[in-house]
Amino acid sequence: MQDNPNSALQREVAQLMVECLNLEITADQISPDTPLYGDGLGLDSIDILEISLTISKRYGLQLRSDGADNQQIFGSLRSLCTYIAAHRTP
Amino acid sequence: MTAHPTADRSNWAATPERGSLSLLRFMTWCSLKFGRQATRLLLHPITIYFLLSSPKGRRASRSYLEHALRRPVRWPDLYRHFLSFASTIHDRTYLINCRFDQFEFEIHGEHLLEQGNGLFLMGAHLGSFEAISAVGKKNAGLCVAMLMHEANAQKINAALLAINPQSDQEIIGLGNLDAMLKVEARLKDGYAVGVLADRTPGNEARHPVEILNRTAQIPVGPFRMAALLKRPAIFMTGLYLGGNRYAIHFDRLADFSALKPGERDQAIKAAIMRYAELLDHYCKSAPYNWFNFFDFWQDSTE
Repeated sequence: MQDNPNSALQREVAQLMVECLNLEITADQISPDTPLYGDGLGLDSIDILEISLTISKRYGLQLRSDGADNQQIFGSLRSLCTYIAAHRTP
Repeated sequence: MTAHPTADRSNWAATPERGSLSLLRFMTWCSLKFGRQATRLLLHPITIYFLLSSPKGRRASRSYLEHALRRPVRWPDLYRHFLSFASTIHDRTYLINCRFDQFEFEIHGEHLLEQGNGLFLMGAHLGSFEAISAVGKKNAGLCVAMLMHEANAQKINAALLAINPQSDQEIIGLGNLDAMLKVEARLKDGYAVGVLADRTPGNEARHPVEILNRTAQIPVGPFRMAALLKRPAIFMTGLYLGGNRYAIHFDRLADFSALKPGERDQAIKAAIMRYAELLDHYCKSAPYNWFNFFDFWQDSTE
Protein backbone atom coordinates (compact mmCIF):
# COMPACT_ATOMS: atom_id res chain seq x y z
CA MET A 1 0.00 0.00 0.00
CA GLN A 2 1.55 3.26 -1.06
CA ASP A 3 0.80 6.17 1.21
CA ASN A 4 -2.19 4.50 2.83
CA PRO A 5 -4.48 7.16 4.28
CA ASN A 6 -5.26 4.64 7.02
CA SER A 7 -1.70 4.16 8.16
CA ALA A 8 -1.87 6.93 10.74
CA LEU A 9 -5.10 5.43 12.01
CA GLN A 10 -3.49 1.99 12.08
CA ARG A 11 -0.67 3.27 14.26
CA GLU A 12 -3.17 4.95 16.55
CA VAL A 13 -5.41 1.87 16.89
CA ALA A 14 -2.39 -0.40 17.40
CA GLN A 15 -1.27 1.92 20.19
CA LEU A 16 -4.76 1.80 21.75
CA MET A 17 -4.73 -2.01 21.64
CA VAL A 18 -1.32 -2.23 23.27
CA GLU A 19 -2.42 0.15 26.03
CA CYS A 20 -5.85 -1.28 26.79
CA LEU A 21 -4.69 -4.90 26.76
CA ASN A 22 -1.26 -4.33 28.32
CA LEU A 23 0.29 -6.26 25.45
CA GLU A 24 3.93 -7.14 25.81
CA ILE A 25 4.74 -5.86 22.34
CA THR A 26 4.95 -2.38 20.90
CA ALA A 27 2.39 -0.92 18.53
CA ASP A 28 4.69 -1.10 15.49
CA GLN A 29 5.16 -4.84 16.07
CA ILE A 30 1.52 -5.43 15.19
CA SER A 31 1.52 -6.10 11.48
CA PRO A 32 -1.60 -4.80 9.73
CA ASP A 33 -2.53 -8.22 8.37
CA THR A 34 -1.89 -10.49 11.36
CA PRO A 35 -5.14 -12.09 12.55
CA LEU A 36 -6.14 -10.47 15.85
CA TYR A 37 -8.12 -13.40 17.21
CA GLY A 38 -6.74 -16.82 18.12
CA ASP A 39 -3.51 -17.76 16.35
CA GLY A 40 -1.80 -14.65 15.18
CA LEU A 41 -1.91 -11.98 17.84
CA GLY A 42 -3.42 -14.52 20.23
CA LEU A 43 -6.30 -12.44 21.56
CA ASP A 44 -9.36 -14.09 23.09
CA SER A 45 -12.96 -12.98 22.86
CA ILE A 46 -12.71 -10.92 26.06
CA ASP A 47 -9.72 -9.07 24.57
CA ILE A 48 -11.81 -8.42 21.46
CA LEU A 49 -14.57 -7.10 23.73
CA GLU A 50 -12.12 -4.74 25.40
CA ILE A 51 -10.87 -3.47 22.05
CA SER A 52 -14.39 -3.00 20.75
CA LEU A 53 -15.42 -1.06 23.87
CA THR A 54 -12.32 1.12 23.63
CA ILE A 55 -12.63 1.94 19.94
CA SER A 56 -16.42 2.43 20.18
CA LYS A 57 -15.80 5.10 22.76
CA ARG A 58 -12.82 6.65 21.03
CA TYR A 59 -14.34 6.84 17.53
CA GLY A 60 -18.03 7.06 18.40
CA LEU A 61 -19.18 3.97 16.58
CA GLN A 62 -21.42 1.05 17.40
CA LEU A 63 -20.46 -2.58 16.90
CA ARG A 64 -23.38 -4.96 16.86
CA SER A 65 -23.58 -8.51 18.06
CA ASP A 66 -25.74 -9.51 15.12
CA GLY A 67 -23.41 -7.86 12.65
CA ALA A 68 -22.42 -10.72 10.41
CA ASP A 69 -19.29 -8.77 9.50
CA ASN A 70 -17.64 -8.94 12.90
CA GLN A 71 -15.40 -11.82 11.86
CA GLN A 72 -14.20 -9.73 8.97
CA ILE A 73 -13.97 -6.43 10.89
CA PHE A 74 -11.83 -7.94 13.62
CA GLY A 75 -9.89 -10.07 11.14
CA SER A 76 -6.84 -7.81 11.28
CA LEU A 77 -5.68 -4.36 12.25
CA ARG A 78 -6.08 -3.28 8.63
CA SER A 79 -9.70 -4.43 8.33
CA LEU A 80 -10.56 -2.95 11.73
CA CYS A 81 -9.16 0.42 10.66
CA THR A 82 -10.98 0.31 7.35
CA TYR A 83 -14.19 -0.18 9.31
CA ILE A 84 -13.38 2.63 11.75
CA ALA A 85 -12.50 5.02 8.91
CA ALA A 86 -15.84 4.30 7.23
CA HIS A 87 -18.04 4.50 10.34
CA ARG A 88 -16.41 6.94 12.76
CA THR A 89 -18.35 9.97 13.82
CA PRO A 90 -16.18 13.04 14.07
CA MET B 1 -2.20 -10.60 38.30
CA THR B 2 -2.90 -11.62 34.73
CA ALA B 3 0.26 -13.56 34.04
CA HIS B 4 -0.29 -16.35 31.57
CA PRO B 5 0.76 -19.67 33.08
CA THR B 6 2.81 -21.96 30.95
CA ALA B 7 1.69 -25.24 32.50
CA ASP B 8 -0.97 -27.13 30.62
CA ARG B 9 -4.07 -27.02 32.77
CA SER B 10 -6.43 -28.49 30.25
CA ASN B 11 -6.19 -32.07 31.57
CA TRP B 12 -9.83 -32.29 32.49
CA ALA B 13 -10.86 -31.24 29.01
CA ALA B 14 -9.15 -34.31 27.64
CA THR B 15 -11.23 -36.68 29.77
CA PRO B 16 -13.85 -38.03 27.38
CA GLU B 17 -17.47 -37.68 28.44
CA ARG B 18 -18.97 -41.09 28.93
CA GLY B 19 -22.12 -42.25 27.28
CA SER B 20 -23.75 -41.20 24.09
CA LEU B 21 -26.78 -39.26 23.03
CA SER B 22 -28.91 -42.30 22.25
CA LEU B 23 -28.17 -43.72 25.68
CA LEU B 24 -29.05 -40.34 27.15
CA ARG B 25 -32.34 -40.29 25.25
CA PHE B 26 -33.15 -43.78 26.46
CA MET B 27 -32.32 -42.96 30.08
CA THR B 28 -34.38 -39.77 29.88
CA TRP B 29 -37.30 -41.75 28.54
CA CYS B 30 -36.99 -44.28 31.40
CA SER B 31 -36.64 -41.53 34.00
CA LEU B 32 -39.76 -39.76 32.84
CA LYS B 33 -41.74 -42.95 32.21
CA PHE B 34 -40.98 -44.77 35.47
CA GLY B 35 -40.57 -41.73 37.69
CA ARG B 36 -37.84 -40.34 39.90
CA GLN B 37 -38.32 -42.70 42.86
CA ALA B 38 -38.02 -45.89 40.80
CA THR B 39 -35.17 -44.81 38.55
CA ARG B 40 -33.21 -43.43 41.51
CA LEU B 41 -32.65 -47.08 42.52
CA LEU B 42 -30.52 -47.48 39.41
CA LEU B 43 -28.19 -44.78 40.65
CA HIS B 44 -26.66 -47.23 43.13
CA PRO B 45 -25.30 -49.75 40.61
CA ILE B 46 -24.28 -46.84 38.35
CA THR B 47 -22.41 -45.22 41.23
CA ILE B 48 -20.64 -48.48 42.06
CA TYR B 49 -19.67 -48.91 38.43
CA PHE B 50 -18.12 -45.45 38.19
CA LEU B 51 -16.52 -45.74 41.62
CA LEU B 52 -14.76 -48.95 40.57
CA SER B 53 -13.91 -47.93 37.04
CA SER B 54 -12.47 -44.45 37.56
CA PRO B 55 -9.37 -44.53 39.77
CA LYS B 56 -8.51 -40.93 38.84
CA GLY B 57 -11.92 -39.69 39.89
CA ARG B 58 -11.63 -41.68 43.10
CA ARG B 59 -8.23 -40.19 43.91
CA ALA B 60 -9.50 -36.67 43.25
CA SER B 61 -12.57 -37.30 45.38
CA ARG B 62 -10.50 -38.66 48.26
CA SER B 63 -8.03 -35.81 48.18
CA TYR B 64 -10.82 -33.23 48.05
CA LEU B 65 -12.91 -34.87 50.81
CA GLU B 66 -9.91 -35.09 53.16
CA HIS B 67 -9.68 -31.31 53.03
CA ALA B 68 -13.41 -30.61 53.07
CA LEU B 69 -14.32 -33.07 55.86
CA ARG B 70 -11.05 -32.61 57.79
CA ARG B 71 -11.00 -36.26 58.82
CA PRO B 72 -9.82 -39.55 57.28
CA VAL B 73 -11.89 -40.51 54.24
CA ARG B 74 -13.41 -43.97 53.85
CA TRP B 75 -15.18 -45.80 51.04
CA PRO B 76 -18.68 -44.76 52.22
CA ASP B 77 -17.59 -41.12 51.86
CA LEU B 78 -16.43 -41.70 48.30
CA TYR B 79 -19.66 -43.54 47.59
CA ARG B 80 -21.73 -40.69 48.93
CA HIS B 81 -19.76 -38.19 46.84
CA PHE B 82 -20.21 -40.16 43.61
CA LEU B 83 -23.88 -40.84 44.40
CA SER B 84 -24.50 -37.18 44.99
CA PHE B 85 -23.02 -36.40 41.57
CA ALA B 86 -25.13 -39.11 39.93
CA SER B 87 -28.24 -37.76 41.70
CA THR B 88 -27.78 -34.24 40.35
CA ILE B 89 -27.28 -35.59 36.83
CA HIS B 90 -30.40 -37.73 37.16
CA ASP B 91 -32.38 -34.79 38.54
CA ARG B 92 -31.27 -32.65 35.63
CA THR B 93 -33.65 -34.75 33.51
CA TYR B 94 -36.59 -33.55 35.58
CA LEU B 95 -35.39 -29.97 35.89
CA ILE B 96 -34.83 -29.62 32.15
CA ASN B 97 -38.31 -31.06 31.59
CA CYS B 98 -39.79 -28.59 34.11
CA ARG B 99 -40.95 -31.28 36.58
CA PHE B 100 -40.39 -28.98 39.52
CA ASP B 101 -43.08 -30.74 41.59
CA GLN B 102 -40.55 -33.54 42.15
CA PHE B 103 -38.44 -31.37 44.44
CA GLU B 104 -38.34 -29.23 47.50
CA PHE B 105 -36.35 -26.08 46.97
CA GLU B 106 -35.19 -23.58 49.52
CA ILE B 107 -33.99 -20.38 47.92
CA HIS B 108 -31.65 -17.91 49.62
CA GLY B 109 -30.76 -14.44 48.39
CA GLU B 110 -33.27 -14.32 45.55
CA HIS B 111 -33.71 -10.59 46.08
CA LEU B 112 -30.28 -10.10 44.48
CA LEU B 113 -31.88 -10.91 41.12
CA GLU B 114 -34.67 -8.42 41.48
CA GLN B 115 -32.96 -5.36 40.14
CA GLY B 116 -34.21 -6.36 36.69
CA ASN B 117 -31.11 -5.40 34.72
CA GLY B 118 -28.65 -7.72 33.09
CA LEU B 119 -26.20 -9.41 35.41
CA PHE B 120 -23.75 -12.27 35.59
CA LEU B 121 -24.49 -15.45 37.51
CA MET B 122 -21.16 -17.02 38.40
CA GLY B 123 -21.58 -20.68 39.19
CA ALA B 124 -19.11 -23.49 39.70
CA HIS B 125 -18.98 -27.25 39.35
CA LEU B 126 -20.60 -27.27 42.75
CA GLY B 127 -24.12 -28.65 43.14
CA SER B 128 -26.55 -28.20 40.28
CA PHE B 129 -26.61 -25.09 38.14
CA GLU B 130 -29.79 -26.39 36.47
CA ALA B 131 -31.60 -25.69 39.72
CA ILE B 132 -31.67 -22.09 38.48
CA SER B 133 -34.59 -23.17 36.28
CA ALA B 134 -36.64 -23.68 39.44
CA VAL B 135 -36.03 -20.04 40.31
CA GLY B 136 -36.96 -19.09 36.76
CA LYS B 137 -40.28 -20.84 37.21
CA LYS B 138 -41.13 -18.74 40.29
CA ASN B 139 -39.67 -15.57 38.90
CA ALA B 140 -41.06 -15.42 35.37
CA GLY B 141 -38.96 -12.40 34.42
CA LEU B 142 -35.69 -14.31 34.83
CA CYS B 143 -34.07 -15.27 31.52
CA VAL B 144 -30.74 -17.05 31.65
CA ALA B 145 -28.27 -17.52 28.82
CA MET B 146 -25.34 -19.82 29.53
CA LEU B 147 -21.89 -18.87 28.32
CA MET B 148 -19.36 -21.65 27.80
CA HIS B 149 -16.40 -22.79 25.76
CA GLU B 150 -17.33 -23.82 22.27
CA ALA B 151 -16.61 -27.56 22.55
CA ASN B 152 -18.72 -27.76 25.72
CA ALA B 153 -21.43 -25.58 24.20
CA GLN B 154 -21.96 -28.01 21.35
CA LYS B 155 -21.98 -31.04 23.64
CA ILE B 156 -24.34 -29.46 26.17
CA ASN B 157 -26.67 -28.22 23.48
CA ALA B 158 -26.93 -31.72 22.00
CA ALA B 159 -27.49 -33.18 25.48
CA LEU B 160 -30.17 -30.62 26.35
CA LEU B 161 -32.09 -31.39 23.19
CA ALA B 162 -31.80 -35.13 23.86
CA ILE B 163 -33.27 -34.59 27.32
CA ASN B 164 -35.94 -32.14 26.22
CA PRO B 165 -36.42 -31.54 22.48
CA GLN B 166 -38.42 -28.42 23.36
CA SER B 167 -35.62 -26.95 25.46
CA ASP B 168 -35.15 -23.29 24.66
CA GLN B 169 -32.14 -22.79 26.92
CA GLU B 170 -29.86 -20.36 25.14
CA ILE B 171 -26.20 -21.25 25.08
CA ILE B 172 -23.55 -18.83 23.86
CA GLY B 173 -20.36 -20.54 22.74
CA LEU B 174 -17.05 -18.77 23.15
CA GLY B 175 -15.87 -20.09 19.79
CA ASN B 176 -16.57 -16.86 17.92
CA LEU B 177 -14.73 -13.65 18.36
CA ASP B 178 -17.99 -11.77 18.72
CA ALA B 179 -19.29 -14.01 21.54
CA MET B 180 -18.81 -11.09 23.91
CA LEU B 181 -20.84 -8.73 21.77
CA LYS B 182 -23.62 -11.32 21.99
CA VAL B 183 -23.25 -11.40 25.76
CA GLU B 184 -23.47 -7.63 25.86
CA ALA B 185 -26.66 -7.68 23.78
CA ARG B 186 -28.26 -10.26 26.10
CA LEU B 187 -27.36 -8.21 29.17
CA LYS B 188 -29.01 -5.19 27.59
CA ASP B 189 -32.14 -7.33 27.15
CA GLY B 190 -32.07 -7.88 30.93
CA TYR B 191 -30.79 -11.46 30.85
CA ALA B 192 -28.75 -13.15 33.51
CA VAL B 193 -25.68 -14.60 31.80
CA GLY B 194 -24.56 -17.78 33.55
CA VAL B 195 -20.92 -18.87 33.65
CA LEU B 196 -19.27 -21.77 35.44
CA ALA B 197 -16.29 -19.73 36.52
CA ASP B 198 -14.17 -22.29 38.35
CA ARG B 199 -12.40 -23.83 35.39
CA THR B 200 -11.43 -23.30 31.79
CA PRO B 201 -10.11 -25.69 29.18
CA GLY B 202 -7.62 -23.15 27.88
CA ASN B 203 -4.36 -21.77 29.15
CA GLU B 204 -5.91 -18.49 30.19
CA ALA B 205 -4.79 -16.03 32.79
CA ARG B 206 -5.52 -17.22 36.32
CA HIS B 207 -5.40 -15.80 39.76
CA PRO B 208 -4.23 -17.80 42.78
CA VAL B 209 -6.68 -18.17 45.69
CA GLU B 210 -7.00 -20.26 48.83
CA ILE B 211 -9.78 -22.84 48.91
CA LEU B 212 -9.82 -25.40 51.76
CA ASN B 213 -6.36 -24.17 52.79
CA ARG B 214 -4.82 -25.04 49.46
CA THR B 215 -3.82 -22.84 46.59
CA ALA B 216 -6.03 -23.07 43.52
CA GLN B 217 -6.02 -21.08 40.29
CA ILE B 218 -9.24 -19.36 39.26
CA PRO B 219 -9.62 -18.14 35.67
CA VAL B 220 -9.65 -14.34 35.47
CA GLY B 221 -11.69 -14.21 32.23
CA PRO B 222 -15.28 -14.35 33.58
CA PHE B 223 -14.58 -11.62 36.15
CA ARG B 224 -12.74 -9.45 33.66
CA MET B 225 -15.73 -9.76 31.34
CA ALA B 226 -18.17 -8.67 34.07
CA ALA B 227 -15.91 -5.71 34.92
CA LEU B 228 -15.56 -4.62 31.28
CA LEU B 229 -19.31 -4.79 30.78
CA LYS B 230 -19.89 -3.04 34.14
CA ARG B 231 -22.47 -5.47 35.45
CA PRO B 232 -23.15 -6.99 38.86
CA ALA B 233 -21.76 -10.48 39.39
CA ILE B 234 -23.82 -12.79 41.61
CA PHE B 235 -22.59 -16.17 42.85
CA MET B 236 -25.06 -19.01 42.35
CA THR B 237 -25.18 -22.63 43.42
CA GLY B 238 -27.93 -25.24 43.75
CA LEU B 239 -26.71 -27.55 46.52
CA TYR B 240 -28.09 -31.06 46.65
CA LEU B 241 -29.08 -31.90 50.22
CA GLY B 242 -30.14 -35.51 49.68
CA GLY B 243 -33.58 -36.97 49.01
CA ASN B 244 -35.43 -34.51 46.83
CA ARG B 245 -34.11 -31.37 48.52
CA TYR B 246 -32.06 -28.58 47.02
CA ALA B 247 -30.83 -25.35 48.58
CA ILE B 248 -30.30 -22.61 46.03
CA HIS B 249 -28.01 -19.81 47.11
CA PHE B 250 -27.36 -16.42 45.56
CA ASP B 251 -24.54 -14.33 47.04
CA ARG B 252 -23.23 -10.96 46.00
CA LEU B 253 -19.76 -11.15 44.43
CA ALA B 254 -19.21 -7.68 43.04
CA ASP B 255 -21.03 -4.82 41.43
CA PHE B 256 -18.95 -3.44 38.61
CA SER B 257 -21.68 -0.99 37.48
CA ALA B 258 -19.96 2.17 38.71
CA LEU B 259 -16.42 1.00 38.16
CA LYS B 260 -13.76 3.53 37.15
CA PRO B 261 -11.06 2.25 34.77
CA GLY B 262 -8.25 2.74 37.31
CA GLU B 263 -10.00 0.51 39.84
CA ARG B 264 -10.63 -2.37 37.51
CA ASP B 265 -7.78 -4.75 38.29
CA GLN B 266 -8.28 -4.32 42.01
CA ALA B 267 -12.04 -4.92 41.73
CA ILE B 268 -11.53 -8.05 39.61
CA LYS B 269 -9.09 -9.39 42.15
CA ALA B 270 -11.51 -8.69 45.01
CA ALA B 271 -14.34 -10.46 43.16
CA ILE B 272 -12.17 -13.54 42.57
CA MET B 273 -11.19 -13.63 46.24
CA ARG B 274 -14.86 -13.40 47.24
CA TYR B 275 -15.73 -16.16 44.78
CA ALA B 276 -13.05 -18.39 46.33
CA GLU B 277 -14.32 -17.58 49.83
CA LEU B 278 -17.81 -18.70 48.83
CA LEU B 279 -16.50 -21.91 47.26
CA ASP B 280 -14.58 -22.61 50.44
CA HIS B 281 -17.68 -21.93 52.54
CA TYR B 282 -20.01 -24.16 50.52
CA CYS B 283 -17.42 -26.96 50.18
CA LYS B 284 -17.40 -27.10 53.98
CA SER B 285 -21.16 -26.75 54.50
CA ALA B 286 -22.19 -29.15 51.69
CA PRO B 287 -19.03 -31.18 50.98
CA TYR B 288 -20.55 -33.79 48.69
CA ASN B 289 -21.48 -31.17 46.09
CA TRP B 290 -18.01 -30.56 44.67
CA PHE B 291 -18.07 -31.98 41.15
CA ASN B 292 -14.57 -31.33 39.89
CA PHE B 293 -13.42 -34.94 39.72
CA PHE B 294 -9.86 -34.09 38.74
CA ASP B 295 -6.95 -32.56 40.61
CA PHE B 296 -8.43 -29.08 40.87
CA TRP B 297 -5.70 -27.71 43.09
CA GLN B 298 -2.66 -29.08 41.25
CA ASP B 299 -0.47 -27.60 43.94
CA SER B 300 2.69 -29.03 45.40
CA THR B 301 1.34 -29.81 48.87
CA GLU B 302 0.29 -33.35 47.98
